[in-house]
Amino acid sequence: MTFTLQPIRVATGFDEEGMMVLDEKQRLVAVLVRLSDENEVAPGQWYLEAGFGQIDGINHPAFSNLDMAQDWISQRVTRGR
Amino acid sequence: MILATAFHPKYNPLIRKLESIFTLSDEERHALQGLPMQVVAIKADQDIVREGDAPSRSCLILSGFACTYKVTVQGKRQIVSFNLPGDVPDLQSLHLKVIDNSIATISPCSVGFITHEDLRAICDRYPRITAAFWRETLIDAAIFREWVLNVGRREAYTRMAHVLCELLTRLRAVGLVEDHACDLPITQGEFADALGVTTVHVNRVIQAMRADGLIELSGDRLNIPDWDRLKEVGEFDPTYLHLESDQAAA
Repeated sequence: MTFTLQPIRVATGFDEEGMMVLDEKQRLVAVLVRLSDENEVAPGQWYLEAGFGQIDGINHPAFSNLDMAQDWISQRVTRGR
Repeated sequence: MILATAFHPKYNPLIRKLESIFTLSDEERHALQGLPMQVVAIKADQDIVREGDAPSRSCLILSGFACTYKVTVQGKRQIVSFNLPGDVPDLQSLHLKVIDNSIATISPCSVGFITHEDLRAICDRYPRITAAFWRETLIDAAIFREWVLNVGRREAYTRMAHVLCELLTRLRAVGLVEDHACDLPITQGEFADALGVTTVHVNRVIQAMRADGLIELSGDRLNIPDWDRLKEVGEFDPTYLHLESDQAAA
């Protein structure tokens, strides 16, 4: 599954940049946030801030890059079909 | 586990804990002081009892922090309570044969194992001690109820403030708080498991609470500069801890 990424600023309270992840039908699947370098847990990583549909839930992993994030989202969305 | 030989620790927080929720006579205090136990030093992050065990003894936390937890089939852990010095987190195993949760150390702990035989003997001889133990397990249940509300319905910021208020209040009841400061060896990952949020979220909440002047953290030490404000933010009403004295409001 291929996604489109659209940059968006997310009001997490830490001035972090994010990406909206849209599927082939331009539906919002997830919002990823690049954690600030001040974050003490996963600085600079892409955090699944919000997921919709198949990836809505309590699992919010962080990824070292956007490709890994998209792979993970793709697996979850496909599995749910 | 490192076995130690001491059977009667000098400082027995069980009495202090029970006296925070129940009035003991001198005789009952003396009987509790004489309760035999096997004192064991356990490293951090070790299971003390595991779900499914059928123990023949209960564990008294003499020093250090532990937690009661359960795990989903996928391996996700939910901490359902923190266990502090003076707590006997598996006291229910005296009556319930199989333990339906696990208990693990958070920091290095000194744990006193008391056999169910000895617990039964002291209860048979001192009915008021039975009542005190009963009261303790009832308060444990009250704490679980409060945690269901906390994890299920409060926002993460309030949730964290509430848990910190509870920890400080319970530690104060066993004499482990100086002014409004206490040891806090709980990691952000452990708070995440207790609060039902991610570690990333816990870190954001802690940073925000620091910036708002609600907490000061230095190493494993927590200081609360404005107790009244933290209680307000955490919607903390200590009634559910059923402490006997006014220390809850302090």
